[in-house]
Amino acid sequence: MSEYILEMLNISKSFAGVQALKDVTIRCKPGQVYGLVGENGAGKSTLMKILAGAYRADAGEIIYKGEQREQASAGEVIDSGISIIYQELALVQQMSVAENIFLGREPRYTLGVLNLRALHSRAAALLKRLGVRLDTRLPVSELTVAQRQSVEIAKALSQNADLIVMDEPSAILAGSELDQLFRIIESLVEQGVTIIYISHRLEEVFRIADTVTVLKDGELVDTRSIDQLDRPTLVELMVGRPLDEIFPQTEHEQGELILVAENISTNTILEDASLALYKGEILGIAGMVGSGRTELARALFGADPLTSGTITLVGDKSARWNNPSQAIASGLVLVPEDRKTHGLFTSLSVRINITLPILSFLTRFGVLQSSLENKIVAEAQERLSIVMASADQEAQYLSGGNQQKVVLAKWLETDPAVVILDEPTRGVDVGAKFEIYKLMRQLNDRGIGIVMISSELPEVIGMSDRILVMNNGCIVGEVAQEEATEAGIIELATMADAGANHS
Amino acid sequence: MSLAKPYESATGFSSWRLRKLVVDFGVYMALAVLLIAAIFLTPKLYEVNTIAVVMRQASQLGIVAIGQTMILLVAGLDLSVGGIFIMTSIVVAEVTNGRDEMVLPAILISLGIGALIGAGNGVLVTKRRVPPFVATLGMLVLVKGATQAYTKGVPGGFVPDVLGIVNQSWFVLSIPLLLWLGLNAFFIFVLRRTAYGRKVYAVGSNTEAARLSGISVDVIRISVYILGSCLAVVSGVVLTGYVGYVDRFIGTGLELDSIAAAIVGGTAFVGGRGGLLGTIAGVLMIQILSTMALLMGLDIEVQFIIKGLVILGAVTLYSVASIEE
Repeated sequence: MSEYILEMLNISKSFAGVQALKDVTIRCKPGQVYGLVGENGAGKSTLMKILAGAYRADAGEIIYKGEQREQASAGEVIDSGISIIYQELALVQQMSVAENIFLGREPRYTLGVLNLRALHSRAAALLKRLGVRLDTRLPVSELTVAQRQSVEIAKALSQNADLIVMDEPSAILAGSELDQLFRIIESLVEQGVTIIYISHRLEEVFRIADTVTVLKDGELVDTRSIDQLDRPTLVELMVGRPLDEIFPQTEHEQGELILVAENISTNTILEDASLALYKGEILGIAGMVGSGRTELARALFGADPLTSGTITLVGDKSARWNNPSQAIASGLVLVPEDRKTHGLFTSLSVRINITLPILSFLTRFGVLQSSLENKIVAEAQERLSIVMASADQEAQYLSGGNQQKVVLAKWLETDPAVVILDEPTRGVDVGAKFEIYKLMRQLNDRGIGIVMISSELPEVIGMSDRILVMNNGCIVGEVAQEEATEAGIIELATMADAGANHS
Repeated sequence: MSLAKPYESATGFSSWRLRKLVVDFGVYMALAVLLIAAIFLTPKLYEVNTIAVVMRQASQLGIVAIGQTMILLVAGLDLSVGGIFIMTSIVVAEVTNGRDEMVLPAILISLGIGALIGAGNGVLVTKRRVPPFVATLGMLVLVKGATQAYTKGVPGGFVPDVLGIVNQSWFVLSIPLLLWLGLNAFFIFVLRRTAYGRKVYAVGSNTEAARLSGISVDVIRISVYILGSCLAVVSGVVLTGYVGYVDRFIGTGLELDSIAAAIVGGTAFVGGRGGLLGTIAGVLMIQILSTMALLMGLDIEVQFIIKGLVILGAVTLYSVASIEE
């Protein structure tokens, strides 16, 4: 048997004449962590779907555990010891942790009666292997996202996985949750499991991977050991051009006060939050997932009604609002965290997406003026360099980065005074990220105040003038950019008295 | 800057075109195949009289299908239109009692009651968050029950002679056909070229995103239910004129046919995708299929089987097209 557990050799795959993968080769040794990186559309998912048996490669061969593998069904692939954990976790909410882990393979007595004792003890043993403490009887709906992810990993282990592919596992995690994931990965590796780790966040790749493979436009760029790489080199390999500065900076002085929120609370976790935003600055909001960041954004936007406190826009358009449509009219917009469920109209054209909030401006007696609309859409496409087949293309067929640009374009057309960005670069590739950062700076130059929520601390620190840290629904501290460190923010975000274990 | 980069294509440009072809033109291609088949199977379909009858009947279904399509576009559904036909028939007969000059007031009263029913559906679906299927099914039973209670099971009154005009054709043209075409032209314009139309699509495509975009989601949905009910009243008036007497079972099956026509025409059951041109083709397909089956002397049961197969075929095709990702 060779030293590799998995070899995917010279894999090619095209869809309807378009080459998605071209002659890609990866080799994995047991007990190692392999980072797989590349921009959206680079072919990472296609490669992993071929491994999973979802697609059939046009050319190339897969050698797994020393044997050439023929085209296999998804079930056969799992049985052979390969598990793939997708970003969208596939768990049954109403069922317990143990039931989910052994779904369809529950330990049984004869006649098919479930052996509940074995079910729970075996589930507990698996979780213990991961170093996770969790009641196996809890329904999954009661768990945090990070805990759900552990359940998925335990499920993979229960299927005797020797190779686990994690597709953007950190996209849904933050702070200490990420540390927990890494601890789990480390313990898996000690037990000889091989991990293929797909991520947009390069910091993580550097922290966890032994070897990194870079794909670009369906081709293999390079595979290197992690100690032969540094961050700028990796970025350059990914985007094919050097990025001198990941976070573009501009020189600006603090402008006038523009938005004031005083002691606001809503029916959510958010409690007694106050903030002030100045023209042309970026106010970063850091904190763990579930700390109330998104709730703060929704409260500012009027999406959740206030139970106490006030929000005021100051300046020439001094205003207050109680719902999103009033907020938009006042000049405050929200680019929501979850692009697909809250921001984008996936089944509608790019054109309709972009002009939706400004319909009243585009219509005369309720009738749309097409020429004006075409002009605005063309300008938006140009300014944000949105890559699309035509303005009538449905938004769902754009890449993640372009979808995010469409959502941004939609809001910029309203000529806002304040823009709230909730996770503006989640699921966006490095190139598009840089463009979004540049765009934020342009907005600052126009005097627009930005509130940016992000789970990526380097992004928060790199882009924000000031950073508010949230913990358990409250704002627990403010840090200026010059003084901000990842460790300092994490400490504030995880302070004990504000406990992260509320449910 | 209009072409996608090559790697963009890998994520869906080509499948996008393929899908668009199926979703946008599938129903027209199917209709064309049906019309060609009719040349050989039932040439009688192409006689002027037959066309006139098919078009009149298509109009009865087509007018209510306009409302049904718009309700489907906001991710809704309206089963209560069946009750609205009966209500309209009874109101017209009771209010006019055969007098021509009372037709207009009778229609206005029907529209008023229809609007109330639609508003009820809309409020149940939006404010009370009742699933559309359940809300409108309940409304259907309620309206049917109310009409029976009101008439004690023996509807009185007479349908005025003037409504018989819906049965006249000039060449292939008729009042119902003109009404159908006119309403389609109007609502196609509304859906494509007005802010209201855009909002209808936005609400159906992603309700939460629409709300966060400043759209009054509930107002749009309730208004669409009201529109749907009013269009059902118009269909009901045409049906009443067609039947010529008060009929407790008037328009039975049209509520389901109107949903089928929209779905066959490519309007998505989950909302936000589709439109009225497809529904016109869907209506024509259903009506032509029935007529062909009749001309071929097939039993009514066989007609239902064919209709069912066409609906299942269309839905399967659309869902296959959307699994492409």
